[in-house]
Amino acid sequence: MIKLENISFDHCIKCTVCTVYCPVARVTHLYPGPKQSGPDTERLRIKSPELLDISLKYCSNCKRCEIACPSDVKIADIIQSAKWKYSKRSLKISRIRDFLLSRTDLMGGVATWFSPIVNFFTGLGIVKFFLNTFLKIPKQRRFPKYAQGTFERWFNKNIKEQQGYDKKVLYFHGCYVNYNYHQQGKDVITVMNALGYGVEMTDEKCCGVPMIANGFLKKATKNAKFNIKSLGKAVSNSDKRIIASSSSCALAMKHEYPNLLELDNSPIADRVDYITRFIFDEFKKGNIPEMAPVNLKAAYHSPCHLERMGGVVYTIEVLRKIPGLDLKLLHSECCGISGTYGFKSEYYTIAQDVGNELFDRIDAVKPEIVVTDCETCKWQIEMSTPYQVIHPISLLAQAIRDVNKSGD
Amino acid sequence: MKTFETDVIVIGGGATGTGTLRDCTLRGMKGILIEKNDIASGTTGRNHGLLHSGARYAVKDLESASECISENKILKKIAWHCIEDTGGLFVTLPEDDPAYHNMLMEGCSYAGIDVDEISINKALEIEPNLNPNILYALKVPDGTIDPFRLSAANILDSMERGSKVFTHTDVTSLILANGRVTGVRCYDKASHEEFEVYGKIVVNASGVWGQQVCESAGIELKMFPSKGSMVIIDYRINNVVVNRCRIPSDGDIIVPGDTVSLIGTTSRKIDYDRIEELVVDDDEIEVLLEDGEKLIPNVKKTRVLRAYCGVRPLVAISGEMEGRDISRGIVLIDHNERDGVEGLITIAGGKLMTYRLMAQMTTDLVGKKLGVKKKCTTHKVPLPGSEKRIPHQKKIKHFSGISNSVVGSTHYRHGERVHNILSKDKKNYGLICECEMVTAGEVEYAIKHLNVKDIVDLRRRTRVGMGPCQGELCSYRAAGLFTEYGDKDGTESTRLLTEFLEERWKGIKPVFWGDAMREIEFTYWIYQGLFGLGNIENNKGEPDR
Amino acid sequence: MNYDCIIIGGGISGLTAGIKCVHEGLSCAIISSGMSALHFSSGSIDMLGYTDNGDVIYEPHKYIDEFIDSHKSHPYAKCGRDMVADSLQFFQDQVANRNVEFFHNNSSNHFHVTALGTLKPTYLSQRSVFNEKVRNGFANKPSIAIINFEGFRDFHPELAASNLKRNQLFNDFEIFARTIQLSEFNNTNKNPHEFRSIDIARILEKDKNIERIASQIKEAAGNALFAGIPALLGIHDSERVHRKLEELTGLIIYEIPTLPPSILGMRIDDALKTIFADAGGVFIAGDKVISGEIDNNILTHIHTQNYGKAHLTAHHYILSTGSFFSGGMVSEFDSIHEPVFGLQLDYPKGRSNWYSQNFFDRKSHPFLHYGVDTDNNLRPRDKNGDTIQNLYCTGAILANYDPIREGSGGGVAISTAYFAARQIIEKCKE
Repeated sequence: MIKLENISFDHCIKCTVCTVYCPVARVTHLYPGPKQSGPDTERLRIKSPELLDISLKYCSNCKRCEIACPSDVKIADIIQSAKWKYSKRSLKISRIRDFLLSRTDLMGGVATWFSPIVNFFTGLGIVKFFLNTFLKIPKQRRFPKYAQGTFERWFNKNIKEQQGYDKKVLYFHGCYVNYNYHQQGKDVITVMNALGYGVEMTDEKCCGVPMIANGFLKKATKNAKFNIKSLGKAVSNSDKRIIASSSSCALAMKHEYPNLLELDNSPIADRVDYITRFIFDEFKKGNIPEMAPVNLKAAYHSPCHLERMGGVVYTIEVLRKIPGLDLKLLHSECCGISGTYGFKSEYYTIAQDVGNELFDRIDAVKPEIVVTDCETCKWQIEMSTPYQVIHPISLLAQAIRDVNKSGD
Repeated sequence: MKTFETDVIVIGGGATGTGTLRDCTLRGMKGILIEKNDIASGTTGRNHGLLHSGARYAVKDLESASECISENKILKKIAWHCIEDTGGLFVTLPEDDPAYHNMLMEGCSYAGIDVDEISINKALEIEPNLNPNILYALKVPDGTIDPFRLSAANILDSMERGSKVFTHTDVTSLILANGRVTGVRCYDKASHEEFEVYGKIVVNASGVWGQQVCESAGIELKMFPSKGSMVIIDYRINNVVVNRCRIPSDGDIIVPGDTVSLIGTTSRKIDYDRIEELVVDDDEIEVLLEDGEKLIPNVKKTRVLRAYCGVRPLVAISGEMEGRDISRGIVLIDHNERDGVEGLITIAGGKLMTYRLMAQMTTDLVGKKLGVKKKCTTHKVPLPGSEKRIPHQKKIKHFSGISNSVVGSTHYRHGERVHNILSKDKKNYGLICECEMVTAGEVEYAIKHLNVKDIVDLRRRTRVGMGPCQGELCSYRAAGLFTEYGDKDGTESTRLLTEFLEERWKGIKPVFWGDAMREIEFTYWIYQGLFGLGNIENNKGEPDR
Repeated sequence: MNYDCIIIGGGISGLTAGIKCVHEGLSCAIISSGMSALHFSSGSIDMLGYTDNGDVIYEPHKYIDEFIDSHKSHPYAKCGRDMVADSLQFFQDQVANRNVEFFHNNSSNHFHVTALGTLKPTYLSQRSVFNEKVRNGFANKPSIAIINFEGFRDFHPELAASNLKRNQLFNDFEIFARTIQLSEFNNTNKNPHEFRSIDIARILEKDKNIERIASQIKEAAGNALFAGIPALLGIHDSERVHRKLEELTGLIIYEIPTLPPSILGMRIDDALKTIFADAGGVFIAGDKVISGEIDNNILTHIHTQNYGKAHLTAHHYILSTGSFFSGGMVSEFDSIHEPVFGLQLDYPKGRSNWYSQNFFDRKSHPFLHYGVDTDNNLRPRDKNGDTIQNLYCTGAILANYDPIREGSGGGVAISTAYFAARQIIEKCKE
């Protein structure tokens, strides 16, 4: 018997709606659906952990079931917890792969020292073959490129300009910006500065999302506690907001920390904003920076985790303020990659089948560019379609920078 | 009119009746059992399913206590698939008399019940959801027993060995000839047919209805029914039986039972002529939830699934009119000795878990009267399903193509007989009841082999409709299967559907708030709003052009 | 970035109001938590189906006047008969743009066959459920095949066939039940039970499957003229699938709504959401409005679960949060309340007064007509009894009507939404 904390399964009135909207259940019969894997069998697992069925591993934690549920059941959380609480750990090769995929700080920290070499090797056919055969990482997968050095290092060199601003924001950069794509961090700074805010950063660790997804809950908890303490301390004597440019990082800090990891995140809970929500507030006050027309036809894809937070509206309203942007809102679909899910051979086909719905829709629109808030969605769409993907903040930054250009 | 002949006629399909039928059959006698409703639909099916260690009686009733512990051990051997050996705790709350737990310990050791005093931390380890503010905790060998499985297994064994069972059949009167009982007159409520059964002896094991049965032979058997109500919680909030260590009172116990927990119980006097109209009162629900919360705080935020009540069939011995001498103990009456009427014996009183002992006592008397010398073996011969004791984990591995939850749940319910149920035919393991993981194969098995005549019977044998949805999804599916596996046509199956939903409703009414109310609104929308089921029932609301 | 209107609750009522608003150029957002009750509805729109005595109504537009006269606090009384008629027309026209075609029987009610073979009066049905071919066809007493798909356990044609034959209108018809085997069922491996209506709907949406399945239906139907199948002809483009099946089989095919998830309801949900979004409406699916601030009888701010004091504000608000199922009303051990604004609810003390003794009681259950009472403009009162000037209540959260007993669910949802939207549009244009 376990101490029962998350008893939201109790409210399930068996309406079956969650299973209707589950993208994984839609494409494969190996997954019985969130209703069965979550609230139905949770009652049985409480009685006897042997009644756990391994088919729940197919859940990708996209959380669309939770969005659909009219009874406030935290279905995806229940399934994630069950994966790790009730099943026995076995030391398989795939666990080594899961370890490597989830330790973004570790991998990133090492890789950014040798990024040109690492990038070269991860692109090689023979390396992909090796990864496919021994670590069960599908060879079709394109690895994101690593940047030279970390964003933190760059920021620390360029910190002086930020200190001149009266108003500040605390930026939680996350692993993607730190290890793979500094430009996005720079775009954040451009936009914040244009809004009149200086950017600060503090010590942070990986938000924990890949660790949660792969069952390394102890490590995720450790990181979470560190982040809560560090960020909490940095904003404690002010009303500074904490902004994150990754929708998944924001979801983790606001939702996963208290709901799944059962931690007290009160030092930061009300301070964390996914970045477009912060910008929306500023725009609403009338603080809209000057922007040059971008003259682009773009299709917006809403990431699952941002949908779950109800944050998509802010991104859309912010994007609508960018002049010259012909914005098409794509019907909300899961892209399939679901973080590290799509990096595993056993789920690769499912991930791609799930994403096909979205890829077809993008194709029907034929945009010049796709806009989305989540970096793993970006990798998935760029790998599976011919379109390039940009973060809303980068589009904003571009519009802001172009003002100076056209002003010449 | 049809007639049947047999050795032993048993009236009443509860634990005692089915146990007696089995014991008689195992000793080579032929038997026919007649039950007015369904197997275990009386008091047997309306208690909290506690497999007593006997500790509850250790202070006041040592005889009952030692009976309990010896039966406890026997049942764990012969009926293991009906039992969960959860263990139990007796906890003392700050407002309870601290001396009581010492008295309990003494009584237990005197009666031969293993009782251990454990630290509060250990108690919380065993039962993490327990109220952490308890003063003392005692560990006892309590368990839980499923009365439906138990009775069904007894019947199955009897039938496989040649006895017959008639359910949904009233005994309209005893047949007397020359001042002795020679048989019973019956009325089959399904086929509307009368028939007669003749036997060498009639055993009245009809519980609280015993009074009526005896009346038809001019015999007085005074019953003093006492109502006990229980509240069912949506999921299993505790894994061991949690008892309140105090003088027995209302709301003393939370019993885990399969996928739910039961908070019990109350004790309210009722008039005999009201035994068919029992309802759970609001104040009973309040006291059960309040007291339950004191044992396990989570009760406060948990969904209450339903509430039901049963009647304790307390018998007055030696014809007492006032009830001073009424006993919970076992009452075996040879009506030849007491009333001068040969051919009839009554077995009454007792507890669910002493059923086997009661059946043994009864069958010994039957054997004496019929000249059958064979000794009782029911304490040794395992019930169907309990033939081999194989852990769930192993059984689950055996059925590798089917979901663990499905195999495990079916194994829990039917033990070894799971092999008769889950075959590799795909059609067979589609889920009918998603809450309790009941497959189409299990429903087919129950309809064809376990005397299932309607969906309410089906629910007792398989747990269809006993989960959170209380029939919302599964009742329509189950009704459909009656046309496939039973001999019902579409209209009859629709009738069964209506009856089942009304039956579920009876237990939900007393707890009509929160998620139970939402579930009902949903169910009503589907079955009345979408299907118009009530129109068939009420013969109204249909167009004439 | 102040909206003209924010709608709390994105079911059929909220979406109808939203569409009306955005069509008149208002900026509108809908905040919805969880999928709506459309997912278990019949997919038909009921206007008025039964009298208080339980008798069937054949001409709802003729009956509505006397109904409003004798039910002065009913939502229809507040809307007025013209508003009811206009709103239903509006609704029908809107969803037709997304290929969800509704049929109405020249302003009379018609009767659609249920999965249990009963006949329910309704006003608008999707064409694949009932249309003039079906109505006219029945006049010739044709033979009817009721067909199910093997492995689909949410539909049992024998029950429908048996009960339908018992109806005096049908007892000299030949009605029989058949089952056909879908090859896709064999691919379900470990989870055959997860063969729900949505799974078959997805199979039928694929062109490559339609021909094969059509020939199976044709064979099963034998020489019947009609084939009733469970409602799963796809979500998008069901019209096309229906037409193709009829062409290929030569049968008149009609859908029968069955256990949830309701494909028919999902078509409406999908169509409404697409229309709303295409016209510029913003639909927020992952958040929940939990409270609001009312100042001087004006709703100034709403608070949501994820963001606390939401920075989305509007001049006008609509509350369409539904009934108990959807969380619009919450009941506890001995009380009922409206969870967002604590609006006044009218209900008797004592739980046993909330329900009837029998589940299928002729009088239905009292709790179905509990809800928020409003003024004649659909505006509710707060706990002090003051009318909130810029808040409107629509749909199942309203008091004084029983959607199941009256057969008025869809009608009330749509007409009250339309009425509230019209008022807001007027105010915004001033």
